Amino acid sequence: MPKHRLERCGLTVTGACVALVTVLVVTLIVMVASHGLATFANDGIAVGDFLLGTTWNPHQADANGNPTVGALPMICGSFAVTILSTVIALPIAIGSAIFVVEVAPGFGRRVFQPLIELLVGIPSVVYGLIGLSVVVAWTRSWSGSTGYGILSASIVLAVMVLPTVTSLSIDALASVPHEYREGSYALGCTRWQTIWNVVLRSATPSLMTATILGMTRAFGESLAVQMVIGNSAQIPGSLLTPASTLTSVLTMGMGNEAMGTVYNDVLWSLALLLMAMSLVFILIIHLIGGRGAVRHG
Amino acid sequence: MDTIDEEAAAKVAVDHLDLWYGDFQALKDISLTMPEGKVTAMIGPSGCGKSTLLRTLNRMCDLAEAVRHEGSVTVDGTDVFGVDPNELRLKVGMVFQHPNPFPMSIKDNVCYGPRRHAEVSHADLDELTETSLRRAGLWDEVKDDLSHDALGLSGGQQQRLCIARAIAMGPEVLLMDEPTSALDPISTGMVEELMRELSRDHTVIVVTHNMQQATRVSDKCAFFLLGELVEAGPTPELFAHPKDKRTEDYLTGRFG
Repeated sequence: MPKHRLERCGLTVTGACVALVTVLVVTLIVMVASHGLATFANDGIAVGDFLLGTTWNPHQADANGNPTVGALPMICGSFAVTILSTVIALPIAIGSAIFVVEVAPGFGRRVFQPLIELLVGIPSVVYGLIGLSVVVAWTRSWSGSTGYGILSASIVLAVMVLPTVTSLSIDALASVPHEYREGSYALGCTRWQTIWNVVLRSATPSLMTATILGMTRAFGESLAVQMVIGNSAQIPGSLLTPASTLTSVLTMGMGNEAMGTVYNDVLWSLALLLMAMSLVFILIIHLIGGRGAVRHG
Repeated sequence: MDTIDEEAAAKVAVDHLDLWYGDFQALKDISLTMPEGKVTAMIGPSGCGKSTLLRTLNRMCDLAEAVRHEGSVTVDGTDVFGVDPNELRLKVGMVFQHPNPFPMSIKDNVCYGPRRHAEVSHADLDELTETSLRRAGLWDEVKDDLSHDALGLSGGQQQRLCIARAIAMGPEVLLMDEPTSALDPISTGMVEELMRELSRDHTVIVVTHNMQQATRVSDKCAFFLLGELVEAGPTPELFAHPKDKRTEDYLTGRFG
């Protein structure tokens, strides 16, 4: 092939790839947004009623004749499982990261990290299945409830996000320059003083990124959550009563409702909400990343 | 013969020290004293063991794996291998080759050590920050920016901050591992001047690649080669009349 044709060909092919990805992302956002916003534009549902309404029953009309599509129970459910699972997973993730980076690096590299990577690859339905047969049963055994609910969902999610958060935490601690540790030891500090005051402190931005990536995964996970949360669209009164999340309502409802119906539109609105939250999470990561880059500049 | 040692008592004494990293013997039968209140320089080509010896004095060598030693190292007559390394390092401070301030404010850097080791009030810490930075010759440059990030300082300023951080602990011995090798000539000059000043209150032991630096700053000089101490003595004497052929070859630039 003549040289100039090769140049042009390369430019065309790679450029087309970029264009395709860009078009895909834009179409995706536009599609979710247009369907999601149709609820408010075409079906006459107020945004406030959607975001703050506490009753979810799209097949029934409220006093004004509008379908009752309050999404607050699911919003609460989503945030509850995200936060609770992070609270469970984070200390374990950071604790094990400290151990394998600071105490037993050889063991960490050869045994622990491959093990963690194995966990990342397990499909979520498997986690859901284990959650159903172990976690739900365990919760039921001591609580007297059905076992389905936010607590069970959070435990399952915590196990699911644990590998991601641990793996990223290990990277975060390992990237703290060795000179910082030496500087601290040379000032007569013990290993744990050094870990607490220098290593964790300088790794904080990266650890926060790890946390938020874990939260993003927890927030967006649907299948495993749906299997153990009980799927009852009500404001969760306790951690042990059945609840639902944005994702679980979506996966339960999407196949059953015809396109163009109000119910279907409202499900799109839930999807829009999920997408918006993911964007917020990613934005936060970029903000932290930017600050970290300036600090190590 | 060793006139300095007669004037000043030996603060640090190394006696028949052998040290191995695994199977590799890094130090071979080293015996050397470092006089109190003086600057002792250790020179020699890369890999000659001078940094290893320096790191033995505050037991930073413990951090490496499979380290083994025979012989003794004493500070004020106390065997360093017989005490808690963290206690030892309060007395024997260290400044590294590459400036390594922590990613926190200038003041937090200086106060890092004292905060970990003593109950001190805020006023004391302010005072300590000022004295330490003044003694490191950095106060006038940073006195209005104490809360700024230390990583925003220039390399030379960072190294003087590291010196301030080390002397804030009030060490009796200050180890410096090629403290100017990452610095520009002007910063190097400032740090060298600082070594002279610091030797009034501290026993300074410096490892350097730079023979001119050794002649400028040190009172006593020790030449190492392949893990052996070739010779040691008062700096002017060692440079003017080296007793060993290998020292002479090194000083005249025939190798290294």
